[in-house]
Amino acid sequence: MSIIMQLIISGIAMGFIYALVGIEYTLIWNASGVLNFSHDKLITLGAYIFGGTYILALKMGFVQGILLSLLTVAIVGVIIARTIFIPLRNLTMIYTIMATVMLGKIIVEGIRLFWGPVPFSVPGFLVGTVKIGKVVISRANIAIIITAFICVCALQLFLYKTKPGKAMRCVAQNRNAAQLMGIDVKTVMVTTVAISMIICCLIGVLVSPLLNISTTMSNMIGLKGFAAGVIGGFGYLPGAIIGGLVIGIVENFASMIFPSVYKDIAAFVLLVAFLLIRPKGITGKTR
Amino acid sequence: MLEIRNIDAYYGKVQVLSNVSLEVGKDEIISLIGANGAGKSTLMKTVMGLLRPKKGSVIFQGEDITKIKNTKIVSRGIVYVPEGREVFPEMSVRDNLEMGAYCRKFSSREMKTHLEDMYEIFPKLGERQKQLAGSLSGGEQQMLAICRGLMSDPKLIMFDEPSLGLAPVIVEDMFRVIVKINQIKKIPVLLVEQNAYMALSISHRCYVMANGMIRLSGRSEEMLEESDVKKTYLGG
Repeated sequence: MSIIMQLIISGIAMGFIYALVGIEYTLIWNASGVLNFSHDKLITLGAYIFGGTYILALKMGFVQGILLSLLTVAIVGVIIARTIFIPLRNLTMIYTIMATVMLGKIIVEGIRLFWGPVPFSVPGFLVGTVKIGKVVISRANIAIIITAFICVCALQLFLYKTKPGKAMRCVAQNRNAAQLMGIDVKTVMVTTVAISMIICCLIGVLVSPLLNISTTMSNMIGLKGFAAGVIGGFGYLPGAIIGGLVIGIVENFASMIFPSVYKDIAAFVLLVAFLLIRPKGITGKTR
Repeated sequence: MLEIRNIDAYYGKVQVLSNVSLEVGKDEIISLIGANGAGKSTLMKTVMGLLRPKKGSVIFQGEDITKIKNTKIVSRGIVYVPEGREVFPEMSVRDNLEMGAYCRKFSSREMKTHLEDMYEIFPKLGERQKQLAGSLSGGEQQMLAICRGLMSDPKLIMFDEPSLGLAPVIVEDMFRVIVKINQIKKIPVLLVEQNAYMALSISHRCYVMANGMIRLSGRSEEMLEESDVKKTYLGG
């Protein structure tokens, strides 16, 4: 029984990670109509900035390190938006997609040159476990669930209750009309990419206790986050959360039935099944 | 109020407007008629700063706004209600209206009086304020688009084909409202229409456009009389 509880909780934790990836992905898709294929590399970049530079090299405290990392990636996000998403926004999507794929390559090579090719971990960051009754939960999982939950709620409030948030939704729903309301589409795009980058960095920081920090650390997370978006209903934020949780829990239970090396297959079988049977996703909504 | 002077505009290398001049005076309803592809919507886009003209200028309230950013033009008080309604489908009617006032910094009380104003013009919108805009009928969406435009207290409002795809009864309503807006709120109107008879019957003056040029202009009543205008542009 306690094993099942443990599987559910770690499933939820991973599910929230996938949900955050799905959301980060979805935000940019909504604002600029472009799939950002460099997003998993941006997660990696966030982890390196946090672990490699602020914690290990500069010996900062964790809280300070996280805050500075978020600020740093937000600036990187503004630069990326200004150099890629905005100049290419009126061209066919394939150009921007190619640009984001290349951006991903540039980031990975840049990381290899700057931080070196050897994977490492951040000692002492969110290690250990907490025992609640008979259930043992790792601190990392608790941190993931709490942070992701706050992040999702904050984002939801921002998008539905504030003026800049509503402007972002306007741009997502009808870019032309948004322009006619006097909404500065470029500013909205910059803000969106910056927010999306902050979420990427947060994901990178949160998974760093679970995975070694390496250039390939986020490949799987990136793909499964995309799957989360599709399964939940692409472009619809609550959908990404539902999709993420479904994948997280399903793959953890799959590891109970099949050898755990086959765990990753579960998410993708689910993705293909959804594409074939219900391409609109569980919620059937978009945006 | 609004003066368009000798505008030349291009889409890439194709010239879509040549030497277009037009004037909208205080309290006037001006109609701009012409066939599909004559350049009417393009002219609207040029006024809104969404398309930069190669030559010529747009003067609004005595100031040259030709090179001003689109967002600034909106906050100066020119509102464009686009063809095909273009509401925000996944937002409530009320949110749609509030976004119409995006460029204004209204207090919540001002926002409320503005909303009530709109619900008075179109009571249907009040009944449906919580409904998603995408679930409204075509006519209701058009009303919403008009009200969304009015939310920011515009100094000039431009309607692009407001009658497109609507039932005849609703079309009459729509034109009645446009006249009302002009008379009660004292907002000058630039009305782009293919439904030329309707447009001519409510407007003071009229311009006829073809192939990116202004071919004719004059008082609307006179235009309705003239036989060759009828033949060429109104289909007999």
